[in-house]
Amino acid sequence: MTGFYIHVPFCDKKCSYCDFYSIESVGLIERYVDTVIREIERRADTVPGPITSVFFGGGTPSLLSPLQLQRIIDTILRETRITSDAEWTMECNPGTVSLSSLTAYRSSGINRLSFGVQSIHADELTFLDRIHTADQAFEAVDLARRAGFDNVNVDVMFALPNQSAEKLSATLDQILRLEPDHVSAYSLIYEPGTPLYARMKKGLVVPESEEHDAELYALVIERLVSAGYEQYEVSNFSRNGATCRHNLTYWHGLPYVSVGPSAHGFVGDVRYWNLRSLTAWTEAVDKGELPEANRERLTQFDKIVELAFLTLRADGVPLSKFHRDYGIDVVAALGPQLGYWLDAEFVTLNAQTLRLTSKGYAVCDELTVKLVGAIESALLAS
Amino acid sequence: MEKFRNFCIIAHIDHGKSTLADRLLEKTGRVTQREMVTNQILDDNPLEQERGITIKLHAIQMEYAAKNGSRYTLNLIDTPGHVDFSYEVSRSLHACEGALLVVDATQGVEAQTISNLYMAIEQGLEIIPVINKIDLPSAVTTIENVKRQVIDLLGCKEEELILASAKAGIGIEDILEAVVDRIPPPKGDPNAPLRALIYDSIFDPYRGVVVNVRVFDGTMKEKDKILFMATGQTYELDEVGILYMKRHRTGVISAGDVGYFTAAIRRLQDTKVGDTVTIASNPCAAAIEGFREVKPMVFSGIYPADSDDFEDLREALGKLTLNDAAISFEPESSSALGFGFRCGFLGLLHMEIVQERLEREFNQTIVTTVPNVRYRVLRTNGEVLWVDNPAQLPSPGVITEIQEPFIKAQIIAPTEYVGTIMKLCIERRGTMLGTTYLSADRVDMSFDLPLAEVVFDFYDKLKSNTRGYASLDYEYSDYKAGDLVRLDILLNGEQVDALSSIVHRQKAHEWGKKLTSKLKELIPRQMFEVAIQAAIGSKIVARDSISAMRKNVLAKCYGGDISRKRKLIEKQKEGKKRMKQVGRVEIPQEAFLAVLSLDN
Repeated sequence: MTGFYIHVPFCDKKCSYCDFYSIESVGLIERYVDTVIREIERRADTVPGPITSVFFGGGTPSLLSPLQLQRIIDTILRETRITSDAEWTMECNPGTVSLSSLTAYRSSGINRLSFGVQSIHADELTFLDRIHTADQAFEAVDLARRAGFDNVNVDVMFALPNQSAEKLSATLDQILRLEPDHVSAYSLIYEPGTPLYARMKKGLVVPESEEHDAELYALVIERLVSAGYEQYEVSNFSRNGATCRHNLTYWHGLPYVSVGPSAHGFVGDVRYWNLRSLTAWTEAVDKGELPEANRERLTQFDKIVELAFLTLRADGVPLSKFHRDYGIDVVAALGPQLGYWLDAEFVTLNAQTLRLTSKGYAVCDELTVKLVGAIESALLAS
Repeated sequence: MEKFRNFCIIAHIDHGKSTLADRLLEKTGRVTQREMVTNQILDDNPLEQERGITIKLHAIQMEYAAKNGSRYTLNLIDTPGHVDFSYEVSRSLHACEGALLVVDATQGVEAQTISNLYMAIEQGLEIIPVINKIDLPSAVTTIENVKRQVIDLLGCKEEELILASAKAGIGIEDILEAVVDRIPPPKGDPNAPLRALIYDSIFDPYRGVVVNVRVFDGTMKEKDKILFMATGQTYELDEVGILYMKRHRTGVISAGDVGYFTAAIRRLQDTKVGDTVTIASNPCAAAIEGFREVKPMVFSGIYPADSDDFEDLREALGKLTLNDAAISFEPESSSALGFGFRCGFLGLLHMEIVQERLEREFNQTIVTTVPNVRYRVLRTNGEVLWVDNPAQLPSPGVITEIQEPFIKAQIIAPTEYVGTIMKLCIERRGTMLGTTYLSADRVDMSFDLPLAEVVFDFYDKLKSNTRGYASLDYEYSDYKAGDLVRLDILLNGEQVDALSSIVHRQKAHEWGKKLTSKLKELIPRQMFEVAIQAAIGSKIVARDSISAMRKNVLAKCYGGDISRKRKLIEKQKEGKKRMKQVGRVEIPQEAFLAVLSLDN
């Protein structure tokens, strides 16, 4: 499995909470498309195996015209090997799509859409600086179905200031009514450098208490699981096996090549990240350079640690892989604390996998630090 | 010898001692303006400069051409400025014939100054009163009062007061003239058997211990075989000299001189402040009076934050004692903190200095436990046990009596604070010994207080309750029996030995309540509920609890930025590593000092 990621760093309007790189100068898109095509050409021979997933993320990839999208896709198809059943995902802002654009995306080969619906409440959408209404979001999903998409994700956000359980519940009701194949539920994070963070620092916004955040998270899990969704990562839920293959390449420690400003890639032992600014990135590509800000080579130690924390937050730590490939007995490494985790129902354990329960997902970062500590000790001892 | 003058400066912190010293050096040409860049040459340790106090002693020789046409050699011997080091003060005073009493024209006399002044007068020093900072605008209203205080204190005449501003360079020459005119030259016989007083020593990695001495009688020169009278050790002198800004080798020093020597001495502990140096083959008849062993009064556990660093910490403490002979340390172990050391200090300030030096100069990350005093425990079988770690207090059944050290505290403050100070001292189990009115608006109060009640935040409390006007000085008195009990802390039923403390029975409940609620604040939520209990023996006197962690996960989309996530986890893991585990409960280091901040 190999992923391919294209970062599209444009938005009509930047959301207050978002810390991904994106700018509002949509006039630069055409020039960006030319440049990203050159970066794809440049990186094509670094792709380690046949590509199994392509992901257009942003920013707002749906700001690309069908023609611009087509040019990028053509380049990928021409320059790389890609499986015929590959997952092709595109993130869309519900405020930027129409039936004709969605139909065109579908015919270009996009087979999975991800809509940032976030909330059904006007006040919450305004707070988040979203450019669409709830009705527009519902309509967008409906249009996607009509355009022939049978794999649709909906993003929802919780732990918004003063969000009651009832209000979140109403959002979840409406979203379930859309029958998405996949739901990503993110809690609002106050990321340094965002306008939201600045407002919090000034005391204009007060983050929810840990208790309330935990209640809302439990509500999300409970509602989605009872509606037939399986939680396979801290924030991700799928129905009928429609997991996001691309995200699983991240969480399973598999390779992905990435292009575009600020994009992060992982090939061989190397994690690299591209220059963040559109201008710097464009200049580097124009000069024929790799537009990277930096890269780091992972040691075997780093890779083992990464695999542990990535798989723990997703669909479970593969015990036999740790044993077979790295000679680590994860169960023995954890020692007696695993007994407490099982008793407290944070994890389940079978012969193959150590997996978080819904209660465990809520304290994933705490368990991660302990798991990583235990694995490091085991590595140092061996 | 007629042209020698040995003197020191007695002043309260901030009353301008160091600035005055700098100015004297400048005036006598010992330092040029250009060398004054860092200012305050005497306090050359960064910690000294930051805290505005002198920890180590210094001596500097100056040449002064007096108005009478003669040239004089002046030795300025610096003195430490904190109560923890009062024994060192007494020794450096002993090395002098005179002292400048420096009093801030806007502040007046403070407790520390008075106790040092009395010490100087007892030792027969000539006192030259200097009113400093007379150029400050507010001095106009206070100076007459301050003058009167000083006159009352010394019984001197107004004409004897020197008005000065070290900062502005006013009165510097008057001071130098007074040093020459009023301070008697040293007495002594250069041909008598050697009798020299050690008033300080420092460790030099190349030469071993450099010993600073005042020679009273006789002569010491290189190659002489010397004897330390208190320790009985002998050495051959390598290098002998006097102190300008740096050491200046002269090969010989004799009666009246202030100087230094080296003799391939490896351990600072072998050169005890106050000891007498003489010639082994021709010793003096009697040692100089007043020597005593310096004993640590305050103890605390010092542990490596990461238990793997135990040996590094041992090495660091070893190096630290090379130039601070007053620290004691011995290995101990704690079920909560692992292996570490029980360290003894002269006082709280000394403890803080040691901790800071370990972190700064030796790069150690340490966990320190709450300081305590050393208790004298009488066992039912008649044995006497010294306990400097509360966890080692035997069970009450085998104890007849627990005794604790007391101090005699002297507090000087404006009279309006008498009630406040009395209240504070009584809360701290003190008894008033007496009051003396220094003037209509200043009072000198003395109290008998348990040292244990003073080591915590007494000084801060005293300062804040009197808006900074009160000053404190104390001396150790004796051990007295007290109704003392050990208060233990239990987390989820397990006793945390490093959090045990010895407290007065009547205060145990309140103490326990404060401590449990403070710990609740300081210990982060765990994945399970944590019960905090304070207990005397098996009796629980206070309890609280920390509810279980509800959510600790960033439910967010990282894109493919795994490096950032890895770094975040590394950081959290380092944080965890610094925590100490008792049973399953992880305790951050701050919690071990919780007692120190109970009222905040």
